[in-house]
Amino acid sequence: MSEATAAAPRRGISLDVYAVTLALVLALLVRFNLIPPIKW
Amino acid sequence: MATTIPFARPLSLAGPAGFVRRILALIPGLLLLAAVGYGGKLIEFSIATYTKAHHITFPNIEYVLWAIVLGLVIANTTGVPRVFQAGVATYEFWLKAGIVLLGSRFLLGDVLHLGGISLFLVAIALTLSLTFMHLIGHAFKLKPKLTSLLAIGSAICGVSAIIAAKPSIDADDEDASYAIAAILALGAISLFTFPLIGHSLHLGDKAYGLWAGLAVDNTAEATAAGALYSDAAGKVAVLAKTTRNALIGFVVLAYALYWASRGEAQAVGNKAAFLWRKFPKFVLGFLLISLLATIGIFARPQLASLANLSRWAFLLTFAGVGLRTSLRELGKQGWRPFAVGAIGEVFIALVTLGLVYGADRYLHL
Repeated sequence: MSEATAAAPRRGISLDVYAVTLALVLALLVRFNLIPPIKW
Repeated sequence: MATTIPFARPLSLAGPAGFVRRILALIPGLLLLAAVGYGGKLIEFSIATYTKAHHITFPNIEYVLWAIVLGLVIANTTGVPRVFQAGVATYEFWLKAGIVLLGSRFLLGDVLHLGGISLFLVAIALTLSLTFMHLIGHAFKLKPKLTSLLAIGSAICGVSAIIAAKPSIDADDEDASYAIAAILALGAISLFTFPLIGHSLHLGDKAYGLWAGLAVDNTAEATAAGALYSDAAGKVAVLAKTTRNALIGFVVLAYALYWASRGEAQAVGNKAAFLWRKFPKFVLGFLLISLLATIGIFARPQLASLANLSRWAFLLTFAGVGLRTSLRELGKQGWRPFAVGAIGEVFIALVTLGLVYGADRYLHL
């Protein structure tokens, strides 16, 4: 766990930024119909 | 129950070869997440089809529960082999991406209305729970910094809050491990107890979602506890939990200042920079997508696609919740941090339930 906690602060920020970036890219792809409709 | 899976290292852009190698290392675990999550979906579908074909009355058990149970079985029987661990650890990434995409299902007005109510209730619950956790931590003779970590973890947002607070208050690695283990164990228990309690109290979707979002510690578990109740409850649970997460910086700052004033942690320099560093950025992404949906950037079918993308992201998350939970680890953590956390959780659950009842009656959720 020590490794986890030591590495955490830097990782927390990058993880959020990556997640938001991916979500926004997907939203753009959906908005401009660049990917087919997503089914569930 | 504690995490046995090491956290993924941040993706580094130091050298394209290293970057590609890191991405490739994630693939086996990602495939495992997808298989377990999709397995849960198949089980739900198979049971529903079978019971309908044979005219059997059987309550629909959501894929959420099956995915978590499948993950738990794997993690606690064969274990998760090392080759899968990096990919499995990305479940938190999918959770955050899913939350941002879920913003498309909220009009900004709803976010402000429900978020405002959540913020008000969070402030009350936070004050009461932090005070209570310190009282019982003292009664159980826990180390003060361990008590601080448990209080932050249970009052604010679970593991992320503990990880954010640990360097700020100069807590030991061992204390952080205890606090994280206790919070994960309690989160897993909440996952199964909250829906049962909600149904027995006949809580409405909004009231239950608000309660789960205010009381369940980890964002992944709060999302799952909401989704286990209903789709609508899951939405509200995520919103309430996101509001709670947004306060992480303020609480960690308060603790950092307290421990620094006692000379047991480094002084905090620029407080605004500190708050920004600790602020969960995915909350901004959630608000942005909600704003775009509110001003009509997306057509109706596109909104449905975004909502479904969010569901797929959560499917990977729920699989990860099961896969990272090891029952074996619980015994190694000692009973006192767990007992303090458990008593605190029951207290927080009762306080927030009372608050939600009050809000439902007087603020019209």
